[in-house]
Amino acid sequence: MKPRLKVLWLQGVTCNGNTHSFLNYPHLSYVLETFEFLYHSLLPSTYTLEEISTCVHECDILIFEGAYDPRMERVGTSLETLVSYYGSHAKYVIAAGSCASFGGMFKHSDPEHITGLGFDEKEPKGPLASSPKLINLSGCPIHPEWMGYTLRMIADNKPIAVDELRRPKELYSYLAHHGCTRNEYFEWKVDSDHFGTKEGCLFYKQGCRGPMTHASCNKILWNDVSSKTRVGTPCFGCTEPDFPRINMFETKTNMSIPQDVPVGISKRSYLTMAGIAKSFHIPRLEKRLIDDDA
Amino acid sequence: MMTRKWIERIEGEASIGFEFEENKVSFSSITFPHFRGMEAILQSKPAMDALVITPRVCGICGHSHLFAAVRAIESVYANSGFPLEISPKAQILRELTLSLELIQNHFKWLYMVIYPELSHLLQRPIADSCRLKGAYAASLATKILAIFAGQWPHSSYMIPGGVTCDPTYVDTVRAMGILDELMRWFEKEVTGISMEEYLSISSAKDLSHVSGDMRDIDKMLRTAKMHKQGFSYDRYMVLGNHGFSNPAKYMHRRMAKVNPQLVMLEDPYTVNEKTYAKNALYQNNAFETGPLARAVTNGVPFIKYLHRYFRDSTYTRTMARSYETALLLNHCKMLLNSIKIDEPSFIEPLKKITSLSGEGVGIVEAPRGPLIHKVTLNKGIIDHYTLITPTQWNLACGSPQTPGPAQKAMIGADSIETATFTFRSFDVCSVCTTH
Repeated sequence: MKPRLKVLWLQGVTCNGNTHSFLNYPHLSYVLETFEFLYHSLLPSTYTLEEISTCVHECDILIFEGAYDPRMERVGTSLETLVSYYGSHAKYVIAAGSCASFGGMFKHSDPEHITGLGFDEKEPKGPLASSPKLINLSGCPIHPEWMGYTLRMIADNKPIAVDELRRPKELYSYLAHHGCTRNEYFEWKVDSDHFGTKEGCLFYKQGCRGPMTHASCNKILWNDVSSKTRVGTPCFGCTEPDFPRINMFETKTNMSIPQDVPVGISKRSYLTMAGIAKSFHIPRLEKRLIDDDA
Repeated sequence: MMTRKWIERIEGEASIGFEFEENKVSFSSITFPHFRGMEAILQSKPAMDALVITPRVCGICGHSHLFAAVRAIESVYANSGFPLEISPKAQILRELTLSLELIQNHFKWLYMVIYPELSHLLQRPIADSCRLKGAYAASLATKILAIFAGQWPHSSYMIPGGVTCDPTYVDTVRAMGILDELMRWFEKEVTGISMEEYLSISSAKDLSHVSGDMRDIDKMLRTAKMHKQGFSYDRYMVLGNHGFSNPAKYMHRRMAKVNPQLVMLEDPYTVNEKTYAKNALYQNNAFETGPLARAVTNGVPFIKYLHRYFRDSTYTRTMARSYETALLLNHCKMLLNSIKIDEPSFIEPLKKITSLSGEGVGIVEAPRGPLIHKVTLNKGIIDHYTLITPTQWNLACGSPQTPGPAQKAMIGADSIETATFTFRSFDVCSVCTTH
């Protein structure tokens, strides 16, 4: 049997949401067969965190969850020491979730000192800034399949191409908008009047960031079954460096035109297309999807 | 002299200092070293953003935080003279997804913490696959949850006025399919008897029919003498109002009404240690919260039976949490069956949230007990936000004269290992405790 790759799952300033999201991964037995966890807070591990904190072992892959505060201590050892030691020995460092990638939610508890591992929002900063080892799996929380993909690619020695924010391109070239079941309403500019309906697009009023957010949430569904937009919740853009934004249930508009338009589309093209689409009235899209009277 | 020990394999990190007298634990001090300042993060944010921020207090019970946050905002509406109407469907969905969060929590605690730790305590190693059983069962529960809430963890599908989803019977049928699978798995792996039979247990004789992992856990708990230790105050507090819980306190063997306004916070007792958790008390008294409290105040026959013989021992506490999993699975089935799909999911509030000012309180029963969110809004902006979590009751760090429930339960333990097991029977979560 091939020796298992050694993985260390370390937590910084976190809610443990990435740990719990990953426990939803349907192929955990593969993970345990292929990787030896030196430490994980719930999965079988070789060492205790106390033993890990002595910095005498080495790991092949460091998975770091939570925002990075160099001064924070885990079992008496600072994150600065832990990340520097394990990060320098590891072949790969995976930032699990948006806090580890960009600072995320918990950057806000101390914006001056807290960052991601290699980025402070979108600026390179932190102990792994510009490190070619770093793979950012942003998302609040991380999607279990995205982590499963990354681990298996590493185990199989396959290359992982990353974008300028060091996120795997195969996962983050898609937008959360791709595969959204409300796409037709977006195309014809039919907005959702209020929450709690299957019909209408959430981009115009409810704050949906789907067309501006790099994430495959509507391609690789959450918990295998759904996504925010499929249950009528706007996408909050949680995989992007500016998460959490403010006023997340509302679309910011200028003269009733959304301030932000889909990634890579000029405002002029967007407005021309939107104006034309909006000029049509399409009765089917203005009715309930399932017509009780028919 | 105090011996300090790091507690791992919990949500986050804690350390306990133990003092011994005549080889038994005489006092312990519980500290939580990490702090994130969630309440400060919430300040000055639009009220609706609390529905995105508060679930991030905790990766394992974030859905309970979402529910408490939405109830807190709805309470501001009510206190301003604009009570919101929530359709029965939306109420059922909220309660269903909350129950599923409790279920996933209990499965992980049982299989990823209690079973392995108990085996370790008795030096009877068990296979790694045991932990994966917990993850598997939990993932089925969160899958059902996600059908309605979009995802777990960190959904924000509850909003003032209802829920964002608009399910069809295709969704409820799918959910029922997964729930059936989870219940069959429970019967096969956990109890070895039918759900119906398990739910009608009310004596030791009935319990002897149980096979499966619960039989093993039950035997090990008794071998480790957990029915003879871990006694706390035998006082219980339930504040969340749900189909599976009734607000009440139980003290001096009597039930009484509760008034959430009498909940108070005090600074923890520490000696040369830094901790960030405040203690939650009711009229200066410590109370135990969580599944045992819910079962005692709800009169669940089997747990009442255990409680009569073994009071609030570690054994009773552990059995109560395991048993609640079955009660909740059954509750979910009832809830799923009662959804009327043609009711509205969301009824728009008459008053705009941006014009809303005032105070509100939202209370739910989270996996570990009552979770309280208090919010003050000024024209829809958060002026002040207070979180009081269930672990602030159970894991409170009081002085030797007034120990918290877990501290009291550890007194008399013959080793750090058995004391720590009793500590874990409270289902420790440090991220919630300090937030």
